Formats: sequence, C-alpha cells, structure tokens
Amino acid sequence: MKWIYSTWWKWISVVLLTYVVAGSFFVPLGPGITKVSPLGFYPDSVYTFQINTSHAHFLSPQAGKVQLWFKNQSSYFAPISFKVTSNTTAEAQFAVGSSQQNNFKPSNFDVVLNDDLDGTFALRDAITLVASSSTDTSFKSLLVNTEPEVKSNHHQLVCFPYREILYETIRNTFFHVPMWFVMTMLVFASFIASIRYLVNGKEEADLLAEQSVIVALLFGTCGYLTGLLWAKYTWYIGVSWGDVIRKLLLEDIKMAAALVAMFFYAAYLILRSSFEDAAKRARISAVYNIFAFVIFILCVFVLPRLTDSMHPGNGGNPAFSKYDLDSTLRMFFYPAVIGWILLGFWILSVLIRIQLLSKKQKS
Amino acid sequence: MKRISSLTILTLFCSLLFAQGDSGANSFFASNLKIFVPVGVLTIILLCIFLFLFSIEKRLKKLEKEN
Repeated sequence: MKWIYSTWWKWISVVLLTYVVAGSFFVPLGPGITKVSPLGFYPDSVYTFQINTSHAHFLSPQAGKVQLWFKNQSSYFAPISFKVTSNTTAEAQFAVGSSQQNNFKPSNFDVVLNDDLDGTFALRDAITLVASSSTDTSFKSLLVNTEPEVKSNHHQLVCFPYREILYETIRNTFFHVPMWFVMTMLVFASFIASIRYLVNGKEEADLLAEQSVIVALLFGTCGYLTGLLWAKYTWYIGVSWGDVIRKLLLEDIKMAAALVAMFFYAAYLILRSSFEDAAKRARISAVYNIFAFVIFILCVFVLPRLTDSMHPGNGGNPAFSKYDLDSTLRMFFYPAVIGWILLGFWILSVLIRIQLLSKKQKS
Repeated sequence: MKRISSLTILTLFCSLLFAQGDSGANSFFASNLKIFVPVGVLTIILLCIFLFLFSIEKRLKKLEKEN
C-alpha cells in the first residue's frame, strides 16, 4: 500500500477541486426568459407583453438582429411590434381575434427569442389566451403566421444551460452527484479489499476494507444532506422540512434505497465492533462486506430504475449524462468527479496511516 | 473541541430553521435564481468533511499522548 504515502495524486485533487469550486461559480448561467407579463390575455385587443430575461445580451454588438415569436403547438406567429428595451428586457405586442380563438387549443403560447449571440431560448406556456364569448367583429386580424429564420439556434457563450425550476442549482451537478461517485468507488475498493483478505489473509487488506467503508459513509452522508437541500428547493418549494423528508423517504424509491444501502454499511461497522477475536472479525466481516456490496449495487443502481421517481436516472427520467450534460457542464463535471474521488482516497489514506501507527504502538 | 463541533452543528440547524419559517417561493434559498442552493450544498459538504477531519485528529491526539 505505497499509494497512501505518495503525494502527487493528492495535489491533483487540490488542483481539480480548486478549478471546479472556483470555476463553476464564475461561469454564468445561459440566457433564459424569467418572466413574461401579463400572463393571460383576451381576444380582440392588442396587448403589450413585457419580456424579462436573465443573462441575455440583446444590445451586444455580436447579437445582431433580435427576433421574437409566439408559438402555439408547431406554428409560429410574429409579434405586431417588437422592441428591445434593455440588454435583458424587451417588449412585444400581440393580439388574437375572437374568430380565431378556437384554432388555439390548448391556448398556451410559448415565447421564443433568438439573437446571434444568445442563440434560441424560450419560455414554455408563457402566456395563455383566455377564451371570450363576446365577439368584436370590427377587430381586424393581426395574426401573422411565419416560418422562423435564424442564423443559429446555439449560443456563442461559455455558460451553463438555463433550465426552468433548476436555474443556478444546475451547479450542484459538480457537488451533489460526485458524492455518490466517491461513495461507490470507496465501497468498491472495500469490496476488492475484502476479497483480497479472504484470498491471502493479509491484515492490511482488512484494514483497507474497514476504513474505506467509514469514508464512504462520510461521503454518503454528504450526498444525502446536499440532496435534501437541493430537493427541497427543486421539487418541494413551500413544503415544510418534515414533509420533505417524509415524502423523499416514502415516495421516492431512490432516496429510500440509498438510505437502506447506507444502513447496510453502518451495520458492517457495528458487526465489526462485536467481535473480540481479530481473525474471526476480519473473516466474517469480509464475507458480510461482499454481500453488502451486492446489496449496495442493487439498491443504488438497479432498484431505482425499476420504478418511476423524480430523481434523474430512474424510470422515465434520464440521468444527466445521457441527454442533459452539455459541453460546458462536462468541462467541470469530469474534473469534479476525479477531484472528489481523489479527496476521498486522500482522507482514507490518512485514516489508514493512523490505524497503522496505533497497531505499531500496541505491538 | 466538542464545544466547537456542537456549535457548528447548531449553526447548521439554525439556517435550516430560518428556511423553514419562510419556505415559500420568496425564501432566501429560492431568491436570485436559487444561487444560494449550490452555495449551501458546498457549505454542507465542507462542514461534514471538516467535522470528520476534527474527529480523526482527536484520534491522532490520543495516539500521540500514549506515545
């Protein structure tokens, strides 16, 4: 176990995590529409909609022509007039005649914006046409059905994708998600060490198996607590903490399964402390550890996929890696995973060294 | 040492209680496009790791005393 004494990989962890923590907070969020008001409108009159965005660059020289459309299902409609009022706000006029109101079902319109720098971004179901029974026959239709023409749909910025509900919390991808990667790696290391102990009976392997479970539980706890905070402000805004915890544990299979997996490892540590004889303790807990690893894999990777859950990576919800991870997120996600894993093994190496020292003193 | 760690834990709970009193869409964590959620997440991780490191150090101190 020479690796616990070498320093170079610990420095890699320092460099990567510094880059991830500082860098991920410097990169801004991408352009997105935060608010369109009014939310609803009646037929037969012209409305002026105020469009507020975050991180858009309408007045930048590279932005070129800023365009806006109202979109219902697959058809796009041009605004009657459109005016950029500041770098991040705009005004658009729009009207629907009562004779046409039945063409729009569902009657929600998306607001779609495009400029050369920010690319295309939209707010789904931003405004709603409220049906009216009175008809104004004098109202002349101002609706223009268009085919949008844009230079590019993709932005020219270094930014994280703007997603409704998630917003800035998308940065948690570099903190909450890698916690579970670290736990999985440490638990895997423990599993391998237990097999090695059963094969060659070296005390060192038993020590590694035990200490990696301790560090794995530390990172599992971090993952759980951070997940709790993220979940509350993503899925359960306005729900009290008690209800959030109850809902997560009872209604979300992934949270419950992850907790069960963690309890199995906590039981491993309790099992170890119940033996007097060192050789017996090492052998029996190594066997238990192999079973615990199988249960961990089942609980964390298999069981949650069998049923639906709000958590990405389950049932109908794809994980980040498949569809959602764009190139800027990747730039930080992979270094974050490697950095946190190395930090986990760093803490593990310190624990092992303390244990080796105490064994040396005892003998 | 025990006093410091319990103080840190209590501080953590304090922020949770603060969020509970105002858990609507206008709460502190929900403001500014929820930027304080990742900040809170990072704080939780660092606090957990630091508390753990303190507990390791305690073990080490005991060893050093025995020596």
